[in-house]
Amino acid sequence: MPAVEYRGMTLVIPDNDSEWKEYFAAARAHRLILRACVACGRLRYPPSHGCPWCADLGWTWREVSGRGTIHSYEIVVHAIQPGFRDWAPYPVVLVELDEQRGQPTADEALRIVANLVRPDLRPEAEENVAIGKRVRVVFQDLADQVALPQFTLSDEPPAGRVWRLA
Amino acid sequence: MSGLRNRYCIVGVGETEYSRDSGRTTRAMAVEAIGAAVLDAGLGPGQVDGMLSYQLADSTPAPWVAADLGLRLNFYMDVLGGGSSTEALIGLAMGAIEAGMCETVALFRSMNGYTEVRIGGTGARAAQPVRGLDLAQRPYGMTSAGQNFALTFMRHMYEYGTTSAQVAHVRAAHSRHASQNPKALLKERVTVADVLASRWIVKPLHLLDCCLETDNATCLIVTSAERARDLRQRPVYVMGVAGRVSKPRTDFHWAHGPITRVAGYFARDIVFGQAGVTPEDVDVTGSYDAFTFTTMLQLEEYGFCVKGEGGAYVSSGIIELGGRRPNNTSGGHLCEGYTHGMSMVIENVRQLRGTVDDYCPDGREGKHSYDYAPGRCRQVRDATIAMNMGWASPPTGSALILGR
Ligand SMILES: [Zn+2]
Repeated sequence: MPAVEYRGMTLVIPDNDSEWKEYFAAARAHRLILRACVACGRLRYPPSHGCPWCADLGWTWREVSGRGTIHSYEIVVHAIQPGFRDWAPYPVVLVELDEQRGQPTADEALRIVANLVRPDLRPEAEENVAIGKRVRVVFQDLADQVALPQFTLSDEPPAGRVWRLA
Repeated sequence: MSGLRNRYCIVGVGETEYSRDSGRTTRAMAVEAIGAAVLDAGLGPGQVDGMLSYQLADSTPAPWVAADLGLRLNFYMDVLGGGSSTEALIGLAMGAIEAGMCETVALFRSMNGYTEVRIGGTGARAAQPVRGLDLAQRPYGMTSAGQNFALTFMRHMYEYGTTSAQVAHVRAAHSRHASQNPKALLKERVTVADVLASRWIVKPLHLLDCCLETDNATCLIVTSAERARDLRQRPVYVMGVAGRVSKPRTDFHWAHGPITRVAGYFARDIVFGQAGVTPEDVDVTGSYDAFTFTTMLQLEEYGFCVKGEGGAYVSSGIIELGGRRPNNTSGGHLCEGYTHGMSMVIENVRQLRGTVDDYCPDGREGKHSYDYAPGRCRQVRDATIAMNMGWASPPTGSALILGR
């Protein structure tokens, strides 16, 4: 699977890619998987070769729940990539996953950048985007071996203070 | 940790016009800027024997321009990078001289950031294939500098109650400064209301929260304090330098919070430790004002105010000419033009010399009115210590403290 066209971009995931290939293939099977260190057991994102905490080079994939909270967000009004113009205004969210929050130190977490989308994968309306809202992962299929993990609002009550730019 | 305090100097500065239609190559502009800096320093033919440049595959390498200037180099290096490079490369130039590799280094950045490879990320940059770590952000329509930093800015508003109006004061202040700068691309003063009324780019950034795309070249010349004594200008001494200092998890800095903390948090002890001064001792600051918010974040992190109180600090008048500690007296990247950080160092060198190129008739000879009305003076009275804060991204920054 060398390349996928998406919104005017060429996403390059060559056969020798030792970071992302399995991540996006699992996403195509609608599973969110992260790398876990075989020595200390901690999860990490993005996929990498050494453990950020203990530097061990051994790892395995582990599936996570895909549930989390919006830690920050932005609304792109002026799209830079031409392929996103018909999507603007669109939200980009930084999602903090439920697994490993505040570990191993208080300010660390598994955070993932994605779009906040509706169940039909269109961008969520700005007035519904806020820090503190709960989200769950959904998958945007792009090709046989590639899907983008995205997030959509869940029906769970918010975590902590809910805030959006007025 | 005193480093090489006061043993190296910036002895020459030069730049081309800030424009949006240079109509020539980055090589042509680099030659002009370096030539101007050599002349400014009073260096003779062949006295520059080292060259450093930085670029993002959008410029001209040092060997191409050296010949145009009649220079045979004992040291050169073209470094990949944008913001935060100027300060870091000043340190590298000092290291190269200290190691005996060369004697005097010209450091340049040349770019057609508006007419060729646009700094805002449109055009050729938007069309590049997405691979490796870029897969973590660009497929989500997060590619430009504003898009890459906005999550940090938004979280700062959430955590600390920072408002759009507070940070808009940065644009207003820098526009006032630019109105005293004949070189500035945008000389018109704007108000906080103007910033808030400008169109949204990526919330929380309005158009006027963002800097300019510009065509230009800039140059600084670094040499030892001993050599500086024989040159034309009053030497400006490097008291401390740090760069490119990083937050943890530079692969994906969002993983290690607080995400409102930027790299200056880790750079400040290095640079202030070398210089042997505190923020209170600094007379003029040069922030990396790619955005209004970046200025606020840097001033907080380097200790000019308490973390989280940057909004109040930048809206207090302190950062304006006539205030306690003016910031970006040239108008900076928001108003003068965008140079990936070098122009703010050039400005601070001129401030410490006392020869800022404002509208005072004899300003370049050091005669200033200190009248900060539009179209007048922008020299800070008795500026003796200046600081520059380089920024590549929230997790990477550089810093420089200069003294006279
Ligand atoms: Zn480990």
